[in-house]
Amino acid sequence: MRIPCPYCGPRDTHEFVCRGETDTNRPDNDEAFYDYVYLRDNPIGSVREHWYHAQGCRNWLTVTRDSQTHEISEAVLAKDAAR
Amino acid sequence: MVEGAELVPMLGMGIAAVMARRGADMTHLAALLGISAMPVARALKAGSGEIIIGTGPEMWLVISPDAAPDWGESLAERLAGVASVSDQSGGYALYSLRGAKARQLLQKGAFIDLHPDAFGRGSAATTVIAHAGVILWQTEEEAPAFELALFRSFQASLEHWFTVALAAMAAAD
Repeated sequence: MRIPCPYCGPRDTHEFVCRGETDTNRPDNDEAFYDYVYLRDNPIGSVREHWYHAQGCRNWLTVTRDSQTHEISEAVLAKDAAR
Repeated sequence: MVEGAELVPMLGMGIAAVMARRGADMTHLAALLGISAMPVARALKAGSGEIIIGTGPEMWLVISPDAAPDWGESLAERLAGVASVSDQSGGYALYSLRGAKARQLLQKGAFIDLHPDAFGRGSAATTVIAHAGVILWQTEEEAPAFELALFRSFQASLEHWFTVALAAMAAAD
């Protein structure tokens, strides 16, 4: 699988670290923490994930990937996606 | 030019990581470094002889040949308020990789597109060779000549990769 880094261009996944789903928010109570740490939706189809380009431009990316085909429809800098 | 490829350490150079401050004016930063625009995934040589290499969004590696011991500090003063400067002169090792087969050899190490159309004169990339992170760029020279920076403690690893890759290439010819 190759990830199209917006700065570096297409790069092999071995340069990246996957951090998982983007849309999890750290809860402010202990009860919700188990779900936050362990439970994932794991849907079929389009997922949004954070990938860190550790061996490249050292930036966090927000990647939109199909969980069945691994086709990547979008990869942007996470700091731009958050704006 | 050597027939195969050679890996030559470049010594005595000043090296600094430069990061733009939030909201900094890129044109102003470029002017302070004596270039027309800040390079993005490219390497540029300023009139002063300093080489400016784009390593990430609003991040650069600046290299100065024949750097005085206080070069890093003077660069930080020069860019004060516009960019943060971290002297890396003792942290990175620099190499020149040149020769008729330099590109072919690099293709055995780096997982990037090294076709001359994709990676030509002045191109720069931050990637991996033999499990070690490298900042790689092609110089403006005529022959395929590359330069690379990597953390100093990985020098032996890179030199080992070079020796083995060169021998494998020679054996295949």
